[in-house]
Amino acid sequence: MTMPFQNAEVTGTVYGIALNDKAQRDRLAATFAEPPYKAPPKAPVLYIKPRNCLRYCGAPTPVPAELSALKVAATVALLFERDLTRAVPEEVRSALAGACLALDISEPIDSFYRPAIRQMCRDGFLPLGRFASVPERFGDIVTEVDGREVHRWSLDALVRPIEAAAAEISGFMTLRAGDLLLVGVPGDAPLASVGGTITVQSAGLNALSASLVPEQGQ
Amino acid sequence: MKRALISHEARPQWVEVIEGGASLRLPSGERLAAANAAWLPPVEPGATVFALGLNYADHSAELGFKKQDAPLTFLKGFNTFVGHDGVSPRPKDADQMHPECELVAVIGKEARRVSQADALDYVGGYTIANDYAIREYLENFYRPNLRVKNRDATTPLGPWIVDAAEIGDPHALQMRTTVNGAEVQHGSTADMIFSIPFLVEYFSSFMTLMPGDLILTGTPHGVHFVQDGDEVVCEIEKVGRLVNHVRLEP
Repeated sequence: MTMPFQNAEVTGTVYGIALNDKAQRDRLAATFAEPPYKAPPKAPVLYIKPRNCLRYCGAPTPVPAELSALKVAATVALLFERDLTRAVPEEVRSALAGACLALDISEPIDSFYRPAIRQMCRDGFLPLGRFASVPERFGDIVTEVDGREVHRWSLDALVRPIEAAAAEISGFMTLRAGDLLLVGVPGDAPLASVGGTITVQSAGLNALSASLVPEQGQ
Repeated sequence: MKRALISHEARPQWVEVIEGGASLRLPSGERLAAANAAWLPPVEPGATVFALGLNYADHSAELGFKKQDAPLTFLKGFNTFVGHDGVSPRPKDADQMHPECELVAVIGKEARRVSQADALDYVGGYTIANDYAIREYLENFYRPNLRVKNRDATTPLGPWIVDAAEIGDPHALQMRTTVNGAEVQHGSTADMIFSIPFLVEYFSSFMTLMPGDLILTGTPHGVHFVQDGDEVVCEIEKVGRLVNHVRLEP
């Protein structure tokens, strides 16, 4: 049994960057001109995945009975080993300890107006793969559900590439040693149902395995 | 009992606050005058920190919002905290930085699917936060966004955690904020829209709360923009008095 909160590496806060997918931003451009948004985002749009979300080494994600399908967004997570404050993009890589694949799980929700804590922060909603050193280049990120490929994307789709994003964030808050940064999620992330086994693979990173199981003791 | 986290002899140490706040008892048993303490925020890295927006009817009306159906909640990271008597930087390009005095519930034991009736059994203690906001940076995406609410050292926390047993009813406490001695906020925790038992039930209905997690319960009315050099004091009855100094960013 893997202790769900046990990890030697992520000792700080897990931040994620939302709306960092170019195609998604283009698709939502007209929506973002209307209330309640009234203008497109200027600064990186950030969210936090609290510690109860973390799952390691394939530990299962419990899903309550009232949820039928969950969005499973595969991405890359960067672990910081040095504090990054007011940095320029060229300084970002030297502050990193490593990278891993992450599966950012959420209940589907259309609105970006308010923080979606209930939809995004349930127990087990962030399975992580094992850390590796940060690859020079990232390959395609491929998601399979029960052995069948359901999604493929690349970090080339990001509005802000990882170094630019981390540097810009560090302009208004420190990314601390022990913090984790999810660099962006695909706007067309697939859905998975309870009982599904999900794997995420990307060249140069360790594969991630996750499973959605019925929550016990409800 | 009151517990504080201080830096002493070059390491963080949890100490007991004694003699009405005048002295601190170190783990070794030695005593230290509180006036000489280097206070740290009483929170550990990685703790889940909830903060409530618009949780007092008067402040919500002041900002032009209608009543909400569910609590407006955002999360905060460790970088944003600073201890009692610390310094919070005011950005050079923003004038609208205002203090927000808030009662903080500190979770005392693991909580999952806890009912309102039992909720206060899971609160180990209380402290004070000053949850500064900087309004120029507001954007309508995951509002209030992190650029407003998660800047370094802009959430003073402390000075200490008071055991829940010493507080009794957390919804019968007067609270106020002064800037250089002049009152800018005054309210009562009786006026929260979503109570602490409600919030513990609500959060624990969909996620596990762990010991040391914090719930910043929102602020009453009074928006006052602070200036370089201001001394800002947030006081909550039975809990304490949290001091902060505003300094313009270099």
